[in-house]
Amino acid sequence: MRAGFSPNWAALLGAAALIAGSTGSGLAADVIKFGISTPLSGPAAPWGIPHKNAIELIFDETNAQGGLDVNGKKYKLDIVAYDHKYVIAEGVATVNRLIAKDGVKYISVLGGSVVKAIEEPVNESRVLNLPLAYADGLVSPKNPLTFHAFPSPPETTAFWKWIKEKHPQIKRVATLSPNDDTGWWSIKVETNFVEKLGYQVAAKEFFERSVTDFNPVLLRILAQKPDIISVNAAPAGSVGLIIKQARELGFKGRFVHIGQCDTSVVAGIAGKANVEGMWVHGYVQTPLPEKIKSWQARYTKRYGEWNATSIDFANPAFAFVAAVKKAQSVEPKKIAEALRTVEFDNLWGKAHFGGKDYYGVGNQIIYPMPFSEVKDGVANLVVQLLPPHD
Amino acid sequence: MTPALFVQSAVIGLSIGSIYILMALGLTLMFGMMHIINFAHGAIYMLGAFVIYYVFFQWGVPYFAAFVLAMLLLGLFGYLVERSIYRPIKGGVEPTLVALLALTTFLQAAGYPVFGPLDKHVPPVFAGTRNVLGVMISVERLMIIPVAGALVVGLYLFINKTRLGAAMRAIEQDKEAAALQGIDVHVVNGLAFAVGFALAAASGALMAPIFKLDPMMGEQPLLKAFIIIILGGLGSIPGAILGGLILGLIDSIVATALGAEPAFLLSFVFIILLLLFRPSGLFGHAA
Repeated sequence: MRAGFSPNWAALLGAAALIAGSTGSGLAADVIKFGISTPLSGPAAPWGIPHKNAIELIFDETNAQGGLDVNGKKYKLDIVAYDHKYVIAEGVATVNRLIAKDGVKYISVLGGSVVKAIEEPVNESRVLNLPLAYADGLVSPKNPLTFHAFPSPPETTAFWKWIKEKHPQIKRVATLSPNDDTGWWSIKVETNFVEKLGYQVAAKEFFERSVTDFNPVLLRILAQKPDIISVNAAPAGSVGLIIKQARELGFKGRFVHIGQCDTSVVAGIAGKANVEGMWVHGYVQTPLPEKIKSWQARYTKRYGEWNATSIDFANPAFAFVAAVKKAQSVEPKKIAEALRTVEFDNLWGKAHFGGKDYYGVGNQIIYPMPFSEVKDGVANLVVQLLPPHD
Repeated sequence: MTPALFVQSAVIGLSIGSIYILMALGLTLMFGMMHIINFAHGAIYMLGAFVIYYVFFQWGVPYFAAFVLAMLLLGLFGYLVERSIYRPIKGGVEPTLVALLALTTFLQAAGYPVFGPLDKHVPPVFAGTRNVLGVMISVERLMIIPVAGALVVGLYLFINKTRLGAAMRAIEQDKEAAALQGIDVHVVNGLAFAVGFALAAASGALMAPIFKLDPMMGEQPLLKAFIIIILGGLGSIPGAILGGLILGLIDSIVATALGAEPAFLLSFVFIILLLLFRPSGLFGHAA
């Protein structure tokens, strides 16, 4: 006798599936899944690890206070994080996986080349993106749901005015950056800005991210006798090698990184003495305000080791939590609308999204940016500056 | 380019070329005897560097003792790879390639959980700079040249002046005939694996204090070593030496004069032109 599959059984199974499905949706609705695609290994891991950890810690602290209250309903925040190793193909794969498989509607991606490569799927899927990335055209009206959560070169070039004012003896600038979207845009913006300030751009060079021997490119640069070398957008590991090799070749001037750079990693590779006097944006070890000291204690307790990069890389989480609270919705579009108007606290003070006069859309984070100088191996805060535009 | 800049970039090219030679010698030795391309060479270079990181930097053992230990440990590992991978699959060229590629992937992937996700560094062994012909060169880069030179001479003497070296040359010329003369081909192949791996480890150990360390650090040197052995002639030791020097000088002098990308392109153009006129490379033998 053939086993029958009567219409009654089918109806029952169908009903069961519907019930299971609706129950599943109900449970899932209580959790906001936030995707992170970032380099957790490789040369850019000094950026990726604090990126993931900072968001995770803020979300966990929000959950510990009862989660997010949206129209009377409580939501817990959960992260789904993947390592893209700062490889474009891996970045695209992990973001596609976050969107298609994990079903996330909100992401934070680190790395300009990666973020540029995922513009299309992010826009098509109407996913809210809070990246930490430098890339031309990333903050633009064509990416309405992308809110850049870290100061970019158009903002951080403000520091060059400070250099001009405080160190007028510096005249000739050389730049050395990664040979990709991130490096090209960073250098374009930075050199345009410094030339307007009256500096002479003595050399403009790029390197492949896999390079470890910088001697040939440094010989080219040093032949132009620069007073300062900007290593904007270069990861800490590469910066360490650049500084070490430049000092061996006899360079006595300063280094500056107006992107973000963990100077403890740099000093580990280049040697403490070689890093002396380097200027960096977004990495401060001392003096830290009380609010950041508390963050330092919580971060160290959770992860066992303090990482000062986490201070500024916590921005996506602060912005997201504030916007969901203001929007009283979990719809990406409504959260995006809230992001354009909400003022929130990050670890350096008040922050908001703006920059419409520069980018044509107010999707760039604005706050008093910290700049440090390395003294005796430690990044000392020298000034906090607002961007040239809001 | 000024004369001073030329001298400076030439000395740097000699130093980096010395590392390329060490990498290429191991590859070409294994190819000459067994006709296999050792894809694991880059991963062994990486492991050699990490032995220095732990034994020299973390545990405080003197650098040259750690250097010898890296060569011994990874030489032993090479012998075990021959026993456990090459020999069981009976020396088939394609299966060996796939197996060594798998070994590379495994070693690189295992590197992140074992060594940690962040780049590592080793403090300089020979700090400071020296004035060479009127230009400044770091001592640690200068030191690569005599150390690599000593290893090359050692390898030359081993292959040309010892019974084991003679056995290796015999297998390279005719494996069956060598076996008929009483040479244990398996043991000598195992030794070739050991020497090849030890040379890759030596390259990594020499570079550890100069560059940063990460599990993928062997990829670029492996690519360079492939170019060199094609340039010099597959299986040719003098070819590997000359190829390494040529590539090191192109990498440094051309990159200094014109930039890194033209130098990279030029090395390939040079190889294509050479192979058009000498398909077996500088010192290779026609098949």
